[in-house]
Amino acid sequence: MTPAGRVRIWLLGGVLVVLHFVLHVGLSYGRGAPDLLTLALLLMAREISLGRAAAVGLLFGLFEDALSVLAFGANSVAMTVVAIGGAATRDLFVGDSRLFLLSYVFVGKWTRDFLHWVAVGEGLRQPFVEQVVIEGGLSSVYAALVGLVVAEVWGLGREA
Amino acid sequence: MPPYGNESESVGRRGELITAGIVLLVALSTSFLSEPNQQRISGALQVTVLRPFIATQQRLEESRIGAADADSLMALVDSLSSTLSTQSVLLDENRTLRALLDIGERAGPRYLPATVLRPGTPGSESMFIVDVGADDGIVQGSPVIGPSGLVGVIREVRPRNSVGMDWSHPEFRASAMLADGTVYGLVENRAGAFREPDRLLLNGVPFNEQVAPGSLVVTSGLGGVFPRGIPIGHIDVLAGQEGSWLKTFWLTPRVHPGAATHVLVLQGDVGDDVTGLWGVDSTDASGAPPSREGR
Repeated sequence: MTPAGRVRIWLLGGVLVVLHFVLHVGLSYGRGAPDLLTLALLLMAREISLGRAAAVGLLFGLFEDALSVLAFGANSVAMTVVAIGGAATRDLFVGDSRLFLLSYVFVGKWTRDFLHWVAVGEGLRQPFVEQVVIEGGLSSVYAALVGLVVAEVWGLGREA
Repeated sequence: MPPYGNESESVGRRGELITAGIVLLVALSTSFLSEPNQQRISGALQVTVLRPFIATQQRLEESRIGAADADSLMALVDSLSSTLSTQSVLLDENRTLRALLDIGERAGPRYLPATVLRPGTPGSESMFIVDVGADDGIVQGSPVIGPSGLVGVIREVRPRNSVGMDWSHPEFRASAMLADGTVYGLVENRAGAFREPDRLLLNGVPFNEQVAPGSLVVTSGLGGVFPRGIPIGHIDVLAGQEGSWLKTFWLTPRVHPGAATHVLVLQGDVGDDVTGLWGVDSTDASGAPPSREGR
């Protein structure tokens, strides 16, 4: 990846993170806003090294954990694992097609929701079907579609 | 050049794997940190990186309160009849604030008025942030009340703000009784399936006790978490019975947490009976549930 491309991906990550917290925390949109934090992580994980991806995942997870009560660490674990998985996909899948991006973000976001559900613990979580299958599925589709728009707007995959 | 990469690439790869493994271990260990350490980390992030976003929400909330000023509302009613729907929200907000003010006056200075903020991020459901903290005398376990009754309890206290959980949290419990003091039990949350509204359940009612639908359920003061007499909800229907020993009842909650924007937080230790704060009409055991907060 070119140095310019590297700067662009970090910039995109920063923009998405700020936007995520503006929409979720600042404007209190809650579920109405897409999970841009996970989207940023997934997009960055494909472009940066494995170790950095894991560190970014941990940092993003801590940001979310700072705003949750009684389940501290659940987001950190979920985001770190997703970041490592995302970075590992570079060795397994080579491709910048829109279909790949769509399925990559969908699976990544769904995995993040599933891991969060597991890490939160039995006492605090909603039923699996409700929280992971239905809500997780819908929010993953939402994130994947937004990811597609972001990739188009930002020109991801075109500079390679 | 060797056909399948070189040694430095493989060493670099190993280094990356080790770094990722260490980060993963750190992530896993965050769940096992002691509560004060977890609070320290989240507190540090909230007052640094996340501060602008929380402050934005706070400012938006404050401007919403400002917009609810009675005079400006009257002016809006006069001049903007076409925006009646917006005004109904503001009037409602105004009504909530007035009700809170009434209770605040009766409760005295130990109950501090506070604005409720909701982070809206995954895992933060059922929690809220109030803009009063340790500097204002708030302690962990301080009850949070609204004009209609119990909203929740403070879980974490920071110098200038506090984090609380409302009754829709799976770990919420409150020792309760009927307003006339005849029947005691434990109120807990039951999450609604598929995003149906959460409900409250009155547990542990002796089988032989007669409980009339519509009876007001208030905190009993047992356990020292909540003062006696804060309205929680009204008896709805029988939910079930355990053998011939105990009965459980569904409650119609008096406060809907999502609608609670302005609350009072008890300063310091749990005090005495607070039944008087809500007046005779609202604690009438036979009365119908009063209008819900914020609705």
